[in-house]
Amino acid sequence: MVAPGAHAATGDANAGKILYDRRCAPCHGIKGDGNGPAAELLDPRPRDFTSGIFKIRTTSTKAPSDQDLFNVITTGMPGTYMPAWGELSERDRWNLVGYVKTFAPDRFKEASKPQELPKEVGPSPESLKRGKEMFEAIECNKCHGTEGRADGPSRPELKDDWGHPIKPANLTQRWNFRGGPARQDIAMRLATGVNGTPMPSFIDSVEKPEDIWHVANYVASLGPASPNYATLVTAEAAAGALPDDPDVVFWKTMPPENIALVGQVTIDPRNFDPSIDMVAVRAAYNDKEIAFHLTWDDATQSLPDPAKQVFADAVSVQLPLTIAAGPERPYFLMGNDAEGVYLLRWENGRGVTEATANGPTKVTPTPGSEATGRAVFRNGQYRLVMKRALVRKDAPPLTPGVFVPIAFQAWDGGAGETGPKMSLTSWYYLRLEEPQSNRRFVVPPLVALLTGVAMVLIVRTARRWTPNA
Amino acid sequence: MRKVLGVIAAVALTVTAAAFVERARAQGGGTIEVEVRYQGAPVVEDIKVNKDVEVCGKEKKIEKIVVGPNKGLLHALAWVTDAKGPTTSKPVSLDQKGCEFHPRVLAMMPGEIDILNSDGILHNIHTFSTANPTINKAQPKFKKVLKEKLEKPEIVRVQCDVHSWMQGWIAVVPNPFFGVTDDRGATKVENVPPGKHTLEVWHPLLAKQTKEVEVKPGQTVKVAFELKK
Repeated sequence: MVAPGAHAATGDANAGKILYDRRCAPCHGIKGDGNGPAAELLDPRPRDFTSGIFKIRTTSTKAPSDQDLFNVITTGMPGTYMPAWGELSERDRWNLVGYVKTFAPDRFKEASKPQELPKEVGPSPESLKRGKEMFEAIECNKCHGTEGRADGPSRPELKDDWGHPIKPANLTQRWNFRGGPARQDIAMRLATGVNGTPMPSFIDSVEKPEDIWHVANYVASLGPASPNYATLVTAEAAAGALPDDPDVVFWKTMPPENIALVGQVTIDPRNFDPSIDMVAVRAAYNDKEIAFHLTWDDATQSLPDPAKQVFADAVSVQLPLTIAAGPERPYFLMGNDAEGVYLLRWENGRGVTEATANGPTKVTPTPGSEATGRAVFRNGQYRLVMKRALVRKDAPPLTPGVFVPIAFQAWDGGAGETGPKMSLTSWYYLRLEEPQSNRRFVVPPLVALLTGVAMVLIVRTARRWTPNA
Repeated sequence: MRKVLGVIAAVALTVTAAAFVERARAQGGGTIEVEVRYQGAPVVEDIKVNKDVEVCGKEKKIEKIVVGPNKGLLHALAWVTDAKGPTTSKPVSLDQKGCEFHPRVLAMMPGEIDILNSDGILHNIHTFSTANPTINKAQPKFKKVLKEKLEKPEIVRVQCDVHSWMQGWIAVVPNPFFGVTDDRGATKVENVPPGKHTLEVWHPLLAKQTKEVEVKPGQTVKVAFELKK
């Protein structure tokens, strides 16, 4: 990841301490015990350096190498609150490595040995096939789920070495992998395991050594390296009916826009550890209706059970009630008393409904709503279609070519999310694609023809004109 | 000639060996018969199993404190803390069968341990220790034996994260003078060098206790413990 620097051997722990106390202690604590003032709010919790247990290592010994620590400081830990500290100078980062090691000196007494990996195997179709076989044979699904969405049957039981509940990685979202998304990173994690967590080492526990690479290749094939988050949702113009079934070809062939969601932390109860961080959105419309197709990962399909602090899984699409000409938009958090918003909602067990809202706790169901839809839940993923009439008296006009503000909210009821405890987006844009007319078959060829004629004329003129004639 | 020499050598060896054994017995140690009781109620947790039910069963009874009819306590470790003895360890094994560790409390001398997977499903061996390096290794269905080393004396907790009710303890004892109680709460510690010793009794969930014992050559001394929370 990062090449060893000139300061590698000279990390100055004393200089590191000054920086640590200012930059790192708020989470990791002055004593390095992971109990800084902010620790309570963070999940996963900050590392307890006094334990000497580190998740990411490329060593066969128990402690990470200095380079491993340096890399984590430099790139941060994706999917956690640990940011990348690349802004600090290289010398500062090595000094931090030096200081962090002083919290568990015994752990670092032994010289670290690099973890050897078998010879690298590329992600050929044969490798992916073998990787899938091995993925099933070594039962990765027990924690990570059949399709890798962190929904395995052991998920609710998992605890880290400190007894805190811990979630398995969602293998379809490798941009959140703590140690990096590359095949090489994944192979290394499989080989070493992840210390302090239930993730065991597999280096001696595959049938043949090269299986490490086959499994790594297969895991990498389960999802993209980056979500390529979008800010604009384009609704395709459809000639025929909009299918209710989220699993039909109509929807599958349409590329989704991945919309990032964050925890709602503006009002109580706040959601510092949101369960749903992305919704993949597709949309289509015809002359009568508009349909939204939403896909999101949720480990458990939940119906309300207040005794267990479990609520209905839910999602909503938010639009303004009126479309202003200027940049004015209602308050993103489901509107406020001054200006409300329109919601197209789905709730597990209740189906699709419509509502207006003047804030998360002031939601008024729309009487006589004719919105429909259908949800499918399989292997830790919801796929949902919600439809409503295109033109409505009580909702803003959706005119092709006009940018309409749109926002999303999601609730994982199984994780105790309900009401203001949700994940959400700020305003993005929805645009209804303009219906394509037959003019596209006439205008471009005509332009091409005229251009051709013009070129021929120019060439001819040039040939006739000879200097010094 | 060679044959005769061979026979003589064999006889000499046998005699010497016999003499050694005899001397060991004569000097030899005594036996401590330990009886451990618990007056409280047994602690059992019922768990509904949501995976591998064909191997683990649909429900599991996790017996945390097992008390026999005479109040005898199962799975208590008794060991002599201050005696020195041979350091050669015997091969030991810990099996995973029916999604449980067998035995639940295992005592061994520092050395090697075979971890078996009789279940034919994925388990992971996750140890919690301070003196020994922690182990967290996957043991998929085709991996019948994992060979591990526990070289420093301490009590190591073992857990399977896949089936989190699977909890076991491996007591690594620095000498061979130990035993784990049966369902009557009884165990025997044999060949203990004569003299005054400290005997410690430990159970995963109860407070440990120690008692002084005097061991006399060739004799058996009985020691009774009553453990409390």
